[in-house]
Amino acid sequence: MEPILIAEAAINGILLGGVLALLALGLNLIFGVVDIIWIAYVELVMLGMYAVYWLVTAYAWPLPLAALAAVALVTVLGLLVHLLIIAPILSSPPVNQLLATGGLLFFLQSFATFLWATDHRSLRLALPILEVFGMFLSFARLLAFAVSLLAMLGLYLFLTRTYMGTAIRAVSQDREAMALMGADARKVYLVTSGIGGAMAGLAGALLIIQYSVHPHFGAAFGPLTFMICVLGGLGNMFGAVVASLLMSEVISVGGIITSTEMAYVVAFVIFIVAIFVRPEGILGKRE
Amino acid sequence: MKRGRTLRVLSLASLALATLAAAVWFYLPAAAQGPTGPIKIGVLYDLTGPFAAAGAVPGSIGTKIAFDMVNEKGGVLGKHKIQTVAGDSQSKPDVAINEAERLLNVEKVDILLGIYSSAIAVPLAEKVDKQNRLLWITIAIADGVFKGRDLKYTFRAQPPGSQFGQLSTRFIADYAQERFKMKPEDVKGAIIYEDGPYGSGVAASGEAEMKKIGMKLVLKEGYSANTPDLASLVTKLKAARPDVLFHTGYNPDITLFLRQAKELGLRVKAIVGHGAGYGQYDKLREALREDVDHIFNVDPVASQLLDPKNYKPAELGKIRDEFLARYKKETGVDQIPPHASMGFNNTWILLTDVLPRAIQKHGGWSPEAIQKAALETDIPEGGTIQGYGVKFAGPGHEMRGQSLRASLVIMQYIGGKTQIVYPKAISTASPVLPLPATSPYAAR
Repeated sequence: MEPILIAEAAINGILLGGVLALLALGLNLIFGVVDIIWIAYVELVMLGMYAVYWLVTAYAWPLPLAALAAVALVTVLGLLVHLLIIAPILSSPPVNQLLATGGLLFFLQSFATFLWATDHRSLRLALPILEVFGMFLSFARLLAFAVSLLAMLGLYLFLTRTYMGTAIRAVSQDREAMALMGADARKVYLVTSGIGGAMAGLAGALLIIQYSVHPHFGAAFGPLTFMICVLGGLGNMFGAVVASLLMSEVISVGGIITSTEMAYVVAFVIFIVAIFVRPEGILGKRE
Repeated sequence: MKRGRTLRVLSLASLALATLAAAVWFYLPAAAQGPTGPIKIGVLYDLTGPFAAAGAVPGSIGTKIAFDMVNEKGGVLGKHKIQTVAGDSQSKPDVAINEAERLLNVEKVDILLGIYSSAIAVPLAEKVDKQNRLLWITIAIADGVFKGRDLKYTFRAQPPGSQFGQLSTRFIADYAQERFKMKPEDVKGAIIYEDGPYGSGVAASGEAEMKKIGMKLVLKEGYSANTPDLASLVTKLKAARPDVLFHTGYNPDITLFLRQAKELGLRVKAIVGHGAGYGQYDKLREALREDVDHIFNVDPVASQLLDPKNYKPAELGKIRDEFLARYKKETGVDQIPPHASMGFNNTWILLTDVLPRAIQKHGGWSPEAIQKAALETDIPEGGTIQGYGVKFAGPGHEMRGQSLRASLVIMQYIGGKTQIVYPKAISTASPVLPLPATSPYAAR
């Protein structure tokens, strides 16, 4: 294998990592703060993709505007999911919470099938081809990576520089103590779910540029996203980014050194070993 | 006196005759009718999940049209109505097996018909056959469904997967000298495939044929149809530098691959797809615009491409046109996918050839009667709307239950239209080969 092609695979891996990180971040934020795993998270991403698709194809909206609308829409959906499904079961046993969000997953898949049939829908975009020093890079991935990076930076600044962000981090560190100190946990939960929804909407807007959307879109990204969250340490944002890059490099570079199927085997073996050695995730806190 | 006796004898004789006639009148129709009531058929396709849009739904619509057209004429033989019970296998083998169980043992259907995915057909066929029930496969192609299993009650008129890889490889070998200025042995081919029984079966047959011809196999690699990324596979293909890419996949994976192949600058002389996602031209074009032009697809022919003059009997042309008109009306599509023809044609063969003989000659539509009638099926080439004939392999054959007269064609998308380009005898256009410079995948 020529070195240039390995370099190309490595760079494409980093770009894939950016997309995976965006997916994992929203999910991990919600888990860290609300302490519930939204199994249906990637289904919200799918709704974001559909929103952009329909606004662009049926209503001829310009893509950036449609993307903003999708972010707004999925933010509202995130809030609704919290208010209607999560809030009533906050103190239920974890297995019930999992079942409830799992039920939401099947509901959203079936509802999307009912509304839009099982067709695969794609935006017809003519994206430029980027060739840098003999390496080909995906423009859609580059764009997604750049926007993901900005979103992560924005999230970081929000969490560290604002009062609400500090409250969110405080709740994720010690929810009982925060309640005892008179903080309004409900508001913190709601804002977190909104941000989680916005991240899902943004991911949807970036994914529709490169993927077809269909009601079972979640099957491609769902398992990988959860694996990354667990590997990085559930609730640990920085860990999620590191785990995304690790997984995407294993898939990309491993894929060209061995085979596409073997790269996934290696990725899952790394996952299993990592969970044995550090059950709290590679960057998780030991309790 | 003599006259009176004659009269009495005559009247007795006429009474006896009348009684006999009455008896015959009462008994005969009943005997000719055989079993009564409707023929109950369970129809199992992937109506949801990723396979739905990769051909399963078009197939199910084709099947439904065949039932409608037969029922509107009173049913099989004009008097046995068909009652269908639909099942949805949701693109998942475990769901398919549960649904089959429901249709066979709760709904008590006489026949189970349909099946799009080979991943479903392979485990299902054995289970249904063990229960001595009848399975009529319309779309799934994997050889593994029949090979070495000696299934008694499973039948398939559709061509088997091994023919797909064979035909695509022969096609390239046939044109190598003329179009590539290369000997077939010098052509470098790469095979990529989804790693279920469908993709791996087609890939294996392509590899075997390449070996036979002496063509160079520079890369053979499978991937999961659900994979979120195929960039590294594209990079690897670029390193292997094949002249021809043979690809077998479903739908989201084909779109993803072609997109990433364009972005990452993969260049080849030809791309040959093998059915499923490659048969859905409308869907591919929606996602990739004219980038899909000049890609080849191996499939049982989409019946609208055949010249009705070659049909025997000639009325088949009318049936085909009626089916096409109904399909267009129902779906509004422009390019009718081959799967629609498969769903219609393979159901039509059961309803108009096998079942009438089962009823008339073998006493009804029990699995036993149908399997006897199916083994007697002898439709010559040109006798179905997809052009191929039907003759099922019988007991003792390695592929028992598979039709041995099924055949495939290679189609190409040229200027927004589907054309048959191979075999040469029935081609509607000469293949555009190698890929023209307008294609983003064309070698430069």
